[in-house]
Amino acid sequence: MTVRAVNLRARPPAPLSGPFAIFALLLGVGAAAALWVPQFATPANLANVANQSAVLAVLAVGQTFVIACGMIDLSVGQLLGLVAVLACDLMAGRSAWVAPAVGVAFAVGLGVGLLNGVLNNRLRVHPLILTFGMLSVLQGVIFLYTDRSTGLTAPEILWLANGALAGIPVSVFVIAAAGIAGHWLLQRTRFGLHLRAVGSSEEGARRAGIDPGRIKLLAFVLSGVSAAIAGLIIAGRLGTGYPNAGNGFELDAIVAVVLGGTSLAGGRGSIPGTVAAVLVLGIASNVLNLAEISAFIQMVVKGLIVVAAVLVNRPREKVSG
Amino acid sequence: MRALITRSPVGSAERLQGAAIWVVLALLFLLAAALSEAFLRPIYLFNLIRQAAPVGITAVGVTLVMILGGVDLSVGAVISLGAVLCAVLMNGQTSNLATAVLVTSLAGAAVGLVNGVVIALGRASPFIVTLGIAIAVYGLTLLYSGGTARGEVSPGFREFMNYRVGGVAPVLALAFLGLAAVMAWLQRATRFGRSLYLIGSNPRAARLCGLPVAAVTLGAYALSGLFAALGGIALLARAGVSSTYVGRGLEFDVLAAVVLGGTTFQGGRGGVGGSVAGVLVLVIAFNLVNILGLSFYAQLMVKGAIIIAASAAYEYVQRYH
Repeated sequence: MTVRAVNLRARPPAPLSGPFAIFALLLGVGAAAALWVPQFATPANLANVANQSAVLAVLAVGQTFVIACGMIDLSVGQLLGLVAVLACDLMAGRSAWVAPAVGVAFAVGLGVGLLNGVLNNRLRVHPLILTFGMLSVLQGVIFLYTDRSTGLTAPEILWLANGALAGIPVSVFVIAAAGIAGHWLLQRTRFGLHLRAVGSSEEGARRAGIDPGRIKLLAFVLSGVSAAIAGLIIAGRLGTGYPNAGNGFELDAIVAVVLGGTSLAGGRGSIPGTVAAVLVLGIASNVLNLAEISAFIQMVVKGLIVVAAVLVNRPREKVSG
Repeated sequence: MRALITRSPVGSAERLQGAAIWVVLALLFLLAAALSEAFLRPIYLFNLIRQAAPVGITAVGVTLVMILGGVDLSVGAVISLGAVLCAVLMNGQTSNLATAVLVTSLAGAAVGLVNGVVIALGRASPFIVTLGIAIAVYGLTLLYSGGTARGEVSPGFREFMNYRVGGVAPVLALAFLGLAAVMAWLQRATRFGRSLYLIGSNPRAARLCGLPVAAVTLGAYALSGLFAALGGIALLARAGVSSTYVGRGLEFDVLAAVVLGGTTFQGGRGGVGGSVAGVLVLVIAFNLVNILGLSFYAQLMVKGAIIIAASAAYEYVQRYH
């Protein structure tokens, strides 16, 4: 009963028809983009794609853990916005204040993640409802703090979001680090194994001696911390603390995670898939911009990509609902 | 174990679970009445119901989909589409009124039908499909409206919807209650309604028994789209102007109300009546916050806290009643 309560749909996790579908899609979209728009495959533009994708990549890696655990976290978008506002206000463009700002960012991310986890374990409210409530609370907190853009990003954080290291954009390292660390944590550690076990069957995991509450708490904490890092990066992208910076990011993150092959029913997660899906979305948006397609048509295309990709990526044997 | 027992389809335990939300509603109402005498005045009560109408009408449709074990996140986008489309088609002329309402309803049902087709025939996750369709519908709405608030409501439209029958009950409030009553009858007394519960509790068994699973799924999603469009029209009747993002995020308010009302994400349980109570709980809570005189941003925080607390209270009543 409790297992079913955390799953969005009470279906046993079915294997994907194509675990490599998203990588094929990434290659296809990349090749199509390069052929269609000549200026896509230039180093400067590819750096743009990396810079534009870093925020979502970090956020989606964190979300992968929550979803693989059979839950969902809608609060990350507003958490990202809150972190951006607080960090920028604290830095006010001064390098000396970068360390305290980063400290505050991590503390806020950790704190909100802990709060989500504790409330989830105590109240037994469905995570979708719980974190939607948290989304609303955080939005209120942001706007009580400031209703307009505030503060200034310090040069170090600007470098993190837009700079280059040995000619390669820092964002590439950020995305790679998030992907590798996430993949290692999910597939190669005891915590990752336990997390997937809890996502697959909470009762089974409990009987195997795992404490599901602890695992779920840690999943929310990971999601909160990744949202804090994403908040710092977006502060670097925007140059200031914009209170609406995180609006809608939670849904983009969920879309990326699911396109990447992680099942909403929990039990399975693919960090490389998540990162590939983020890049697919980033490339699609970049190339449509280069081709000067209207933002409205881009939204329609993005929606259709999501539907098409989920059709390609669907479970082999499932009952409709 | 208790959960397993209370999940049995018949018996007083099930009935008590259904009553949980009404207990929460009654307690909240008593609290509200103790704090402000306004809650005892019939006119104010009907104002509450009118205020609940847009989310409430939408929640009625989403309830059907969730009984089926699905979910519909596109309703926020369809509410926006409904409000914009209806306002543009009315174009300030009374003679356009009937056409506008009819075309808007059909458009909503069509979006729902697309959801249903992809989910039933493509066997894809409803969560992601409806999320993707939501993005596409926002794009289409923006293309249609050009990104600005277009259209003008017909003279007499708002006056009629807000006209108080017998000097007390606004037409809009009665329309909400009427639609809910019709759907409550539909789910209880028709073959379609019973099929929803059967498919929701065990899709595989339902298919093996020869129930028309695909047809019922299509019908439920089409109705969800139709009711979201009607919710959009209700929103237009209250606000008088349309805007593209008027429904953004409302899908989660709707979900909160439906889940509060006892319809679960795994399907097979709950009903329209509970959802109506769930919406009223949320509306009374928001009005209490208003009466306390908090700023809009503080209201956002309290709204989130209330959604979490009410869900937790509901879970508690359900488990220990």
